[in-house]
Amino acid sequence: MSDLRPHLLKRGPLLLTALLLCALPFYLDAFWLRIGLFSMAAAIGAVGLGLLSGTAGQLSLGHAFFLAVGAYGYVWLAGEPGPGLPPAVAAVLAVLLAGAAGGLFSPVAGRVKGIYLGVATLALVFLGHHVLLTADSVTGGFNGRSVPPLELGGFTFAESDPELTVLGVPFGVEERLWYLGLALFAVTWFTARGLLRGRPGRALVALRDSETAASVMGVHVARYRSTAFVVSSMYAGLAGVLLALSFRRVVPDYFSLALSVDYLAMIVIGGLGSVAGATAGAVFVTALPLLMTRYADQLPLVAAPGSGDGSIGPTEASRYLYGAAIVVILLYAPDGLHGLARRTRARLRRRPSAPQPPGTGPVPAAAAASAASDTTARAKEHTP
Amino acid sequence: MTAPAAAPPALDVAGVTVRFAGLLALDDVSFTVAPGTVHAVIGPNGAGKSTCFNVLSGLYRPTAGSVRLGAAELTRLAPHRIAALGVARTFQNIVTTQGTVADNLMLGRHALSHAGFAASALRLPRAVREQRAHLAKAREIAELTGLGAHFDAPVALLSYGDRKRVELARALCLEPRVLLLDEPVAGMNAAERIRMTEVVREIRAELGLSVVLVEHDMGLVMRLADEVTVLDFGRAIAHGTPDEVRRDPEVLRAYLGTTTGEDAA
Repeated sequence: MSDLRPHLLKRGPLLLTALLLCALPFYLDAFWLRIGLFSMAAAIGAVGLGLLSGTAGQLSLGHAFFLAVGAYGYVWLAGEPGPGLPPAVAAVLAVLLAGAAGGLFSPVAGRVKGIYLGVATLALVFLGHHVLLTADSVTGGFNGRSVPPLELGGFTFAESDPELTVLGVPFGVEERLWYLGLALFAVTWFTARGLLRGRPGRALVALRDSETAASVMGVHVARYRSTAFVVSSMYAGLAGVLLALSFRRVVPDYFSLALSVDYLAMIVIGGLGSVAGATAGAVFVTALPLLMTRYADQLPLVAAPGSGDGSIGPTEASRYLYGAAIVVILLYAPDGLHGLARRTRARLRRRPSAPQPPGTGPVPAAAAASAASDTTARAKEHTP
Repeated sequence: MTAPAAAPPALDVAGVTVRFAGLLALDDVSFTVAPGTVHAVIGPNGAGKSTCFNVLSGLYRPTAGSVRLGAAELTRLAPHRIAALGVARTFQNIVTTQGTVADNLMLGRHALSHAGFAASALRLPRAVREQRAHLAKAREIAELTGLGAHFDAPVALLSYGDRKRVELARALCLEPRVLLLDEPVAGMNAAERIRMTEVVREIRAELGLSVVLVEHDMGLVMRLADEVTVLDFGRAIAHGTPDEVRRDPEVLRAYLGTTTGEDAA
C-alpha cells in the first residue's frame, strides 16, 4: 500500500495515454482532431449509457433525447432567442437540465425493468424529435440553431479571441475544444469509475443480476433504478453540450432513433459494464464512418460520397461494418473489446511468468479472471 | 456498527396466510423465534417453507397475519427496509451477483454504508474511508466463514459449496439480528455439510443472533435447532424441541413417512 511502485505501475499506462492525448493537437490536423472530438463526446455519452444499460441492466433507446436536451439546452440558454446566459453557466445548466429531464421520467425508469424500459424510452426519442422540429422559437425548427462558442474567463473556444499560438502551432477551434473535450472526458472517466467501484455500482450490478437479492440486501430498487437513469441522462447531457460545441450547429435530424442505436452499438462493441469498454466502442462507432468518408476513394466497393449511383456510400458501408462487428463480437467475444483486451493482457502476463514457482500460480482461469478484476494487487498481497 | 450488542428482539409470526390465486400456500401459520435461538422450519417439498421465508424478508405480502420483529411490523415494509432492520437471508438456489467474493460481501454492507451516487462519483474522502472500513470488515467475515483465501476470486469460479458460503457470508455482512437460512447445506457433500454446520454454530455463538433455518437435512436440524416448526401443505402441524417433534405421530406420518427416527446425517 505504502510502496509507490505498484501504484505507478498501475497508473503508468493511464498517465502515458493522457500525455499522448495532450500532445496530439501539435501533430494532427483539424480533420483528425475533429474525429477525436466527436469520439470524446460520444465516449462521454456512451459511458452514461453503459452505466444504465450495461451496469444496471436497464435498456434505454432514449439516449438521443437526452443528448438533444443537453445540446439544445446549452444553445438556448447561452443563445440569442433565449436567456443569453454566460456560456459556461449555460453548459452546467444544460447538464442539469438533462438530469432533470431524466428525473421527470424516473417514475417510469424506477418501475419498468430491462427491455420494457427500452420500449418506454423509445417514446422519448419521437417526442423529442417532434418538439425539436416544431418549437421553432427555442430550437430553430428544421434548420436548427448555430451554437454560441463556449467562453471561460475571457478565453473563447473559437477560431480567435484571444489569438493563440502554442509552440508555433496556431490554436484554432479544434485545438481548443480538444483540450476541453479531454478535460470533460477525464471528469467522466474519474466519476464513472468512482461510481462503478463504489457502493452505487455494486448495488446496480446486484439489481441487474438479481433484483430479489439486491432488495433483500437492502438496495432500494426503484430509487437506484431511477437514479441510474438520471445520472445516465446527465452524462448524455454533457455529451450533448460537447457535441453541440464541436458541430457548431445543432439540427433535429441528428438526434434521431439511429443515434440511440449507435450508442447501444458502442456499449455492446466496447463491452457492457465497463468505462474503458464504452470508450473504445464510442471511438470505433464514431470514427469509422468519418474515416470511411474520408478514404472512400481508396476503398474497394465504396462509392465516394454524393455519387448517388446506387452503390454503397461510406456511411452505409460503415453501418454494415459495425453491424458485422456487433455480430462477430456477440458471437466470439460477448464481453466486447474490453473483455478481449483483458483476456489478451492476462494471457500475455501469464506467459512470461509461467516458469516461475509453480505453487504461486493459481489455475489459469482464476489467473485470467483475477487479472481481469482491478484487484490484482490485493489478491497478491493476500495469497500466502 | 452493532455487532454483538443487545439480544435481538423476538421474531413473532402470527396467523400468516398466503394465497396465490386458488392455492393456499400458507394457512394461518404462527411461531415465535425466541431471541438468540435457532428455529428450524421443516416440512416436505411444497409445504410452504420458502414462501414463509419470502414473507419474512418482505418479498411476499401475506394475505393475512402479521410478522413482528420487536416493535416493527415487517409485513408492511419493503424488502430493503426489512434488511435495514437487520434481517438477512440466503437463498435456496444460490443467488450471487457478478464479480468477486469481495464484491458480493460488500453488497452485504450496503445497508450499513451511506455513500451515495454523488459521494462515490466524486470519490469524497468520506466515501473512500467508508469503503475501506467496510472492506476490512467484509474480509473479517470472509475469514470467519472460511472464505479468506477466495476473497478476491470471482464467485463464478468457486465450487458449489463455497458459493453457498458466499451467500452466508454476504448475509452476515449485513450484521443481522435475525438470519434466515434457506437450505444452507442443500446439494453439499458430507464434508461440506459438516463444515457448514460448524460455521453456523460458530456464528450463532459468536454473534448471538437468531437463526431461522429451512432445511431438509434432518441431521443438521436435530443438531442445530433449539426449536422446530413443522409445515405440511401450508399448515403448521407441530412445534417443539427437535426431540418432541421427532416423536410427534403427526409429523412422522406427514414428513418422515412411517419409519421411525431420522436417517440422514
